[in-house]
Amino acid sequence: MAYNSFPYLCIFLPLCWVAWAVLPQRYRPAALLGGSLVFYWLTAGTYTVWLLLAAALTWALGLGLGRLQQLQEAALPGLDKPARKEAKHQFAALQRGMVTAGVIGLLGLLIWLKYLPFLVRTLNSALSLLPFAWQVAAPSFVQPLGLSFFTLMALSYLFDVRRGTTQPAEHYWQVLLYLSFWPHVVEGPFDRWAQISPALLNPPKPNYRAFTFGVQRILWGMMKKLIIADRANMYVKAVFDNWPSYSGSAVVVATLLYTLQLYAEFSGCMDMVLGAAECFGVPLAENFRQPFFASSVSEFWRRWHITLGAWLREYLFQPVIVSKPMMRFGKWCRTRFGAALGRSLPVWAGLLLTWLAIGLWHGAGWLYVVYGLYYFLLQWLGEVAEPTLLRLCPSLPRWRTRRWYKLWQALRTFVLVNFGMLLFRSNGTRAALEMLASLRRPYEGSLLIKLDAQDLWVLVIGALVLLAVDLLHERGIAIRESIARRPLPLRWAIYCGGMLAVMIFGAYGDNYDPAAFIYAQF
Amino acid sequence: MSLQTWQKNALRILAFLLVLLMLVMAAGHYLMPQSNRYLEGYTAGGILGEDFDTIDVLVLGDSNAAQGIAPMKWYDEHGITGYTYAAGWLSMYNIYYRIKQIYEEQSPKVVVLCTAPAYTKKSSETYMQSALGDIADELLPLLRFHDNWKYLTPQNLFTEKDYSWRDINKGYAPITDVAARPNTDYMYDTGASESIPLLVQFYMQRILQLCDEHGSEVLLVTVPAAVGWNLARHNGIAAFAEENGVPYLDFNMAEYNPGIDWMTDSSDGGTHLNWLGAQKVTEALGTYLLQNYALEDHRGQPGYDTWDSDAQSYRDQLPEIKERVSQNAGIV
Amino acid sequence: MHTLDEIMKILAEVKPGIEAEPDTELVRTGILDSVDIMSVVMALAEEFDLEISPLDLKEENFHTPNAILDLVNRLDD
Repeated sequence: MAYNSFPYLCIFLPLCWVAWAVLPQRYRPAALLGGSLVFYWLTAGTYTVWLLLAAALTWALGLGLGRLQQLQEAALPGLDKPARKEAKHQFAALQRGMVTAGVIGLLGLLIWLKYLPFLVRTLNSALSLLPFAWQVAAPSFVQPLGLSFFTLMALSYLFDVRRGTTQPAEHYWQVLLYLSFWPHVVEGPFDRWAQISPALLNPPKPNYRAFTFGVQRILWGMMKKLIIADRANMYVKAVFDNWPSYSGSAVVVATLLYTLQLYAEFSGCMDMVLGAAECFGVPLAENFRQPFFASSVSEFWRRWHITLGAWLREYLFQPVIVSKPMMRFGKWCRTRFGAALGRSLPVWAGLLLTWLAIGLWHGAGWLYVVYGLYYFLLQWLGEVAEPTLLRLCPSLPRWRTRRWYKLWQALRTFVLVNFGMLLFRSNGTRAALEMLASLRRPYEGSLLIKLDAQDLWVLVIGALVLLAVDLLHERGIAIRESIARRPLPLRWAIYCGGMLAVMIFGAYGDNYDPAAFIYAQF
Repeated sequence: MSLQTWQKNALRILAFLLVLLMLVMAAGHYLMPQSNRYLEGYTAGGILGEDFDTIDVLVLGDSNAAQGIAPMKWYDEHGITGYTYAAGWLSMYNIYYRIKQIYEEQSPKVVVLCTAPAYTKKSSETYMQSALGDIADELLPLLRFHDNWKYLTPQNLFTEKDYSWRDINKGYAPITDVAARPNTDYMYDTGASESIPLLVQFYMQRILQLCDEHGSEVLLVTVPAAVGWNLARHNGIAAFAEENGVPYLDFNMAEYNPGIDWMTDSSDGGTHLNWLGAQKVTEALGTYLLQNYALEDHRGQPGYDTWDSDAQSYRDQLPEIKERVSQNAGIV
Repeated sequence: MHTLDEIMKILAEVKPGIEAEPDTELVRTGILDSVDIMSVVMALAEEFDLEISPLDLKEENFHTPNAILDLVNRLDD
């Protein structure tokens, strides 16, 4: 069931909400779990078993870690200092073993189901360089729905339990609910157990305001997806799937439209998902914070797909850098290259690893490696050039506070991000290079590709509306609250207007091809 | 009587939905085309322009039928009034609602239901999605015609819609393209029988019921289609026909073949017929209708003047069509 | 125990030209981004021979030079 389909919006959601609202408090989580499992089963069928297994492993290891921590707390005070240190080490080793088991199991599952074909292809390319013809067969698997999402959420749960910031869940069904919760299982966000388990397990009472605000947010997401994203997709698909026929301005417009499409679609999906969860009183994490107002690509990635960056920063980047091997590497660099590089090289190594992870998370292919590398290079160049820039231009720090400079930064980031989007959307590394090369060739044909002038106007107006809403959000204005304060006729006019806009201007029906949710293939 | 909060809220939501529904219906009305010519694909919408209760044979189907059955030929030669209400991708769900609308103005004695819509579905959708989408389109015209906002002018809000346009070919689209296909057998026995999807069957039965209530006899027909038809599908329809006591005429079967030559009679290599193929099928179907149903010759009758004048226009355009398609087919 | 001066010296090494008082907000004003914080962490670990765990890498420990000083003193126990 897609989040913007009739069955989901008009049958599944209302049924779940009524069941959830009508049940007594104790059984409300059961409505959520039941709904989630039905939702998952309808899409994934027998592959549901992977989710069930992942949840089981996570729950068991979580309990195990919790038990070890309890034992540690009980045993330690009774010992003297040397024995205490020894015991601490042993407990730490046991816990490390459990976490490692979890990582191998969960991450292994992800790599096996999602990355194996890519690894085998790469291996085969390397093998083909050798004199003897030896190739490995590449199996390919169907990935269970939301594999990339629930795996990382399960890992975050284990890591948090290990660190002691979270109490492990007592019952299997609780962990299963956390991982399978239908709003975030398909495209995220990556929610932390501590953030959403209270609302999942101890739901608040049905609340008219939460319900209506949730529905309004869903409507806003529908508007973005149906009016803007699905419309832009017609153009984008035509150019990117058939790139040799296009060049110059056509490629530029297609790339800009793809950026618009991806933003409208992914943030629209997040609106639909967070809105749905809001109806049930569950506060899922925000994934977007006006990304196009960012002043650098690294800030962009803290405002775009926020939870992915946060996950990688907290569980990959930071632990890797403070890990013993990395510290040793830092010392080694210090003796070889001096204090400054001794600090920077480990951090850059961590950054490189994180960017490669971001790239590869999006897809199993060399294009995604290049994608990650692109952003790493941009960030790295920014870091490295900083001292030189400050020397060349001492007034830079002062300029950086000025509005005109921030506008320049936002535009510069926008251009860089668009190059990244061109890479991301193209049909492989070779296609990406060809499209980049084609930018210099002028385009002779009409720019009205698959869309007529009126469609393009809708897209322009849509983009302006998005910009306006983002501006309001950046200023901290809560739009739904603001509308809710107006008199009833105006409120209803706005809501009806929104629904009519979706029905009239939505890019559906025989003239348009439906676009499947882009991020759901991960 | 005072209401609890949740009841008040529920009522408020209900009231909002009612207001929304009214706006949706109003918007749908304004976005419907100004002329019936654009209400449906091909020239199916022209049926609304015909005089009431003049059509005796109603043919329903998708693009196969629109390019395969030419009712004006029946009128010209035998005075039988027929109409092919057919458009691309029409499904059985669509057809059910269309017949309902058509019965408001016409009372056909025979309903010829082409069978291709029972099996075709867009590959990008599941059966459920197609069904829900088509049914929703029928219930809320806004969903069908929403894209017309591009052609809306302020005048549209004030002028009445004009649904009096007529098609002289009565729903048939004469195509003169020729794309050959070798005359290989496509109705060979694979031992299989493709059953009609359940929901489609359900709607087909509703169609049968509707026709029965209005006193029309139903005839199932399959227009020749080398691409898209096979014996398995024939078997599926034959089973349905047997269960429901409806006669079934499949022009793809050897015994009923009206002499289709796929080298000259198809416009796109086997999926659709062109004018040459349509003539053969129409002739054969016309003969069958005359033999099995009591159909009147309406030529010259009072109340059928539009039919007579349309027949004249039809005859006027025939020579050119015949010449063009013969040229394309390489026939002298 | 360590002094604020040592912290300020490390901050100056990581971010030359930094202008900060003992209670200047470092993180929210963007003076230190997440990469800078890691560089500071590397420098602190190196300079004071500390063992830092990922849990210590919370924003609140790096808000102001004083906060960093507190963190270092705590870890040195």
